[in-house]
Amino acid sequence: MAELTLDSVTKVFNDGGSDEVVAVDDLSMGIEDGEFLVLVGPSGCGKSTTLRMIAGLETVTDGEIRLGERTINDSSPADRDIAMVFQSYALYPHMTVRENMRFGLEESTDMPDDEIRSKVEGTAAMMGIEDLLDRKPSELSGGQQQRVALGRAIVRDPSAFLMDEPLSNLDAKLRATMRTELQRLQADLGVTTVYVTHDQTEAMTMGDRIAVLDDGVLQQVGTPLECYHTPNNRFVAGFIGEPSMNFFPTARSGDTLSAEQFTYPLPEAVASSLGDATEVTLGVRPEDVEVRPAVDDLGDHDFACVVDVVEPVGESNNVYLRFADAPEGETFIATISGMRNVAAGDRVGATIPPSAIHLFDDRTGAALRNRSLADVDGVTST
Amino acid sequence: MSTADTDARLKRLALYAVLIAMAGFYLLPILTGLFTSITSPESYTGQSPFLPPMEPLLPETGSFSLQPWGNAFDGLARGLTNSFILVIPATILSGLFGSMAAYGLTNVDWRGQVGIYALFVAGIFIPYQAVLVPLTQFWYNVVPLQSLFAPLAGLPLVQAYHWKLVALIVTHTAYGIPICTLLFRAHYKKLSDEMIEAARLDGASVSTIYRRIVLPLSIPMFAVVFIYQFTQIWNDLLFALTIVQFGDASVVTQELVGIGVSQAGTNFPLRMAAALLAALPTLVVYVLFGDKFAEGVTA
Repeated sequence: MAELTLDSVTKVFNDGGSDEVVAVDDLSMGIEDGEFLVLVGPSGCGKSTTLRMIAGLETVTDGEIRLGERTINDSSPADRDIAMVFQSYALYPHMTVRENMRFGLEESTDMPDDEIRSKVEGTAAMMGIEDLLDRKPSELSGGQQQRVALGRAIVRDPSAFLMDEPLSNLDAKLRATMRTELQRLQADLGVTTVYVTHDQTEAMTMGDRIAVLDDGVLQQVGTPLECYHTPNNRFVAGFIGEPSMNFFPTARSGDTLSAEQFTYPLPEAVASSLGDATEVTLGVRPEDVEVRPAVDDLGDHDFACVVDVVEPVGESNNVYLRFADAPEGETFIATISGMRNVAAGDRVGATIPPSAIHLFDDRTGAALRNRSLADVDGVTST
Repeated sequence: MSTADTDARLKRLALYAVLIAMAGFYLLPILTGLFTSITSPESYTGQSPFLPPMEPLLPETGSFSLQPWGNAFDGLARGLTNSFILVIPATILSGLFGSMAAYGLTNVDWRGQVGIYALFVAGIFIPYQAVLVPLTQFWYNVVPLQSLFAPLAGLPLVQAYHWKLVALIVTHTAYGIPICTLLFRAHYKKLSDEMIEAARLDGASVSTIYRRIVLPLSIPMFAVVFIYQFTQIWNDLLFALTIVQFGDASVVTQELVGIGVSQAGTNFPLRMAAALLAALPTLVVYVLFGDKFAEGVTA
């Protein structure tokens, strides 16, 4: 077990060629011993490439990867003491579960036969697959194959686990169960883990910390709630959270934001923290938008709206709202309690509370101001 | 009965009619050969080759005899032996080397492999005729295989003339590698990259991955390649004529050319029996590897 450090790691495909592609750009982060770090981002953001560089399946163009005190840039995958779980599980189809699990121990150690047997059986018991040991992968369900793939990684007792979207081939119910189980397993084993996913729900629920990547560039590393409440920039704000944060492009003059459909006065303290930024995007999370019955006396932060579509999720309703005088299709989302009854076509008032707004500089995307954390427990501003 | 039912029945009828006609079309020549081969040469007239020999029940059909098969076996014994000595190692070696080359060119990443692969593909298209003279030169003048092989002739079961078969084995192996590589490569491209990567992370070397992962997963493809190469090499006459030329090392196709031909005329029953006998091993190979073959072709 060891901490994993990425130091200015860069990966360029077709280096020096005419169609050079920078997949990962100057990525630096540290993953502590025993930590569960989730690498998240849209497809093509370089998260899998990063994982593959750690695994040794891709060369590192520039920078350094260290596992413990050891620089592993040029070690072969076999010498890195790392186990990986693949999206497709990558089980050996001609071997039984037992042989699949033994393979790594046979190839990478000179452990005696009976020790291998007891390790394999011990791990299988822990994973609840001891009854499957003599079956072939083709005779297993997707969930069972997934367990075998995990068991095959665990039995190696590596310094670090790498997981590349290991749950994405499971159905939704099983995925939720495996999510919890994986977390518990990782906590029990205490092995440093890097987990790649494009699914922000997995990132939020599983990681000790999450690292958000976009276009090969690290956007933010932090606990899930830090990334949720205090995003570094507009990308992180939009990527983390489901449904996504609402964004309104505005022009700022002094302490007033003017959008196409509304003007939004900023509190003094907020306005003064914006510096000289004039093109500002206003962001607000759907659950922070308050939906009230339509009233005539609208406050500064209240807006007359029409309900466009209602998506009931059960415990909550996602309400697509349109400013009263906005054209069709230009909507933003508010999340309200599932017990409240709102129907399409209703006229309502929407409040965007000043304490909950995020402001982003349009030029850089950087967060100028994040929501007030006074009403959020357990998160400290970064 | 509804019209739909009648339609279905008619279709079925037509289907069976076509299938029976096709079976007849394919089987008739073989049947003719078979009937001819069990006719006593003295009574053979060639008048009704489609009928079994049933004299004296049916005149002009010849009388039944297994003599042609016996004679064919005696006549071809040496050629069959030589062919087996040739075909088994040549088939296995070309398949094995082709599989290794395909693995190296497909599942192992290194610079310039496309260029090397292009050479393999080009190898498929070198016509036999173009290499006949160089081959003779090579085995008779460039490589002194005959003298190199001479010390081995003292070993049990080994004869001095076997050097020609060794030359033929090497030639067929070399000539078979490109097509085998192509066939295996198509198969290996479909192997999961993640699986190979998983094996690398598990600590397996390039050669271990081949031996423990890729080779066991190639068995259906080996069936395809073995059937193909066995048939090719078994049926080859051109290389045998060029390298063996004549004498003790003649293979079965060479022996087949001359059997049953004499100044007295052609012994058709003997020739038919010999032809069937010479074709038998390829049939047996098809039957033995048939199910794996189907798996490999449809994989």
